[in-house]
Amino acid sequence: MRKLSILFVLFAIFLVGNNNDIFAQSGQELVDICNMVAGEDVTYLKDFQIKLDAAKPGEEPPMSRHSILLSKNTEYLFTICNSKDFQGEAIFKLYDNNRLVTTNYIIATGKYYPKVSFKCSTTGVYHMFVEFREGKQGLAVALLSFVRKL
Amino acid sequence: MNKQLIYILISLLLLTACGGSDKSKEKSLSSDFEIPDSILYDGELQISEKAMKDIVQNISSPVEIAALIKAVGVPYTKNHLATTDYVDHYNTAFKKALGLGIFGADLGYQNMYNKTGSVLEYISAIKSLADGIRVGQFFDFSTLKRLVSNNQNLDSLMTISVQNFNQMDRYLRENNRSNLSSLIVAGVWIESMHLLGATIKESKNSALSEKIGEQKIILSNLMLLLRNYERDPKFKDLINDLTEVQEIYKEVRITYEKGEPEAVEENGMLVFKQNDKQFIDISDETLITIIDKTNKIRNKIIQL
Repeated sequence: MRKLSILFVLFAIFLVGNNNDIFAQSGQELVDICNMVAGEDVTYLKDFQIKLDAAKPGEEPPMSRHSILLSKNTEYLFTICNSKDFQGEAIFKLYDNNRLVTTNYIIATGKYYPKVSFKCSTTGVYHMFVEFREGKQGLAVALLSFVRKL
Repeated sequence: MNKQLIYILISLLLLTACGGSDKSKEKSLSSDFEIPDSILYDGELQISEKAMKDIVQNISSPVEIAALIKAVGVPYTKNHLATTDYVDHYNTAFKKALGLGIFGADLGYQNMYNKTGSVLEYISAIKSLADGIRVGQFFDFSTLKRLVSNNQNLDSLMTISVQNFNQMDRYLRENNRSNLSSLIVAGVWIESMHLLGATIKESKNSALSEKIGEQKIILSNLMLLLRNYERDPKFKDLINDLTEVQEIYKEVRITYEKGEPEAVEENGMLVFKQNDKQFIDISDETLITIIDKTNKIRNKIIQL
């Protein structure tokens, strides 16, 4: 009987271990939630679903990079939504060539913002980098929405 | 007791077998569709399919140009739209993908003005073209049709249709069919240029003219995508046409003045203001030449 119980526990661990997604929040569900967080006054443009592993000891946190084209005289909204199934909180940084133009995490104050507005004055290619705070494993959606023409 | 344990094990097994992830759902959904060889691009690529996924992702958006046209106070004009009457004439994967982009831009324009009168025709045309290149499973025709028929929740109409286009684009890129995804992007760009041009010809506006000038940057990114497939004769024709537009764009001068970005907190939200300046110098003559040239390319595609 004891052997059978051990077998049961091992089997259950095996099944659950191989099926993380049984009750997990999917990327698309997160996009839908994020759309609601973004609000009704904005228009959805693009979503970026980011899933990264935890950083290995002594290594830099994994990072996801995306290039996007933004237009001048336009206000955009970046909404960041983190999956409840992982500990990681996504930090996004938007660069114009080598200069940081927008982020949702201010190191100096330690403040984390789920929504960031960007008033763009130059049409061109921007580079968005996303990583999870402290290199934790995470799943997040970065949603790009159109707010208005300036 | 043993029996109870066996029941629990069977329940667990069933539970795990049923709870598939979205990815596996998507996989099974896509494997339901056989993709003919003619749709897959097997030519030599200058940029690998893997690198193509990293290329700029939102080269042309049906939302932003339509929003600008509306923002400057120009009324909606149905005559600017491409006709859906000849959707059956889009009879190759190449034409279907371009057509998808064109009708996608037109749908965005109609949605921006909340004009649902002919939206049904456009979503039907898009569904038919999307099915034709085996991405129809990503276009939620029934929900869109319901929203249009009930004239309800028009914001959702825009969101769902843009999301569906993004899903098609993502699927094509991830399945070595970036050639078709590039054509959809090209179609959106060409039709957006047409909408801008047609609006400018009716009511001249400096913001719209500047927008045409700005497209010099967008076009160079689009050409990077398209040139990857230039060994395909159909692509070659389109590339040649757009290269002529690029030649005209050499007359457009874009200059920059750097500024310091500022960040302020407004109602708990962080707001970044980029203070760079971008000057776009485009003469009236160049403007009209660009509009006419892109119009010719667009008419060649839609008249078939």
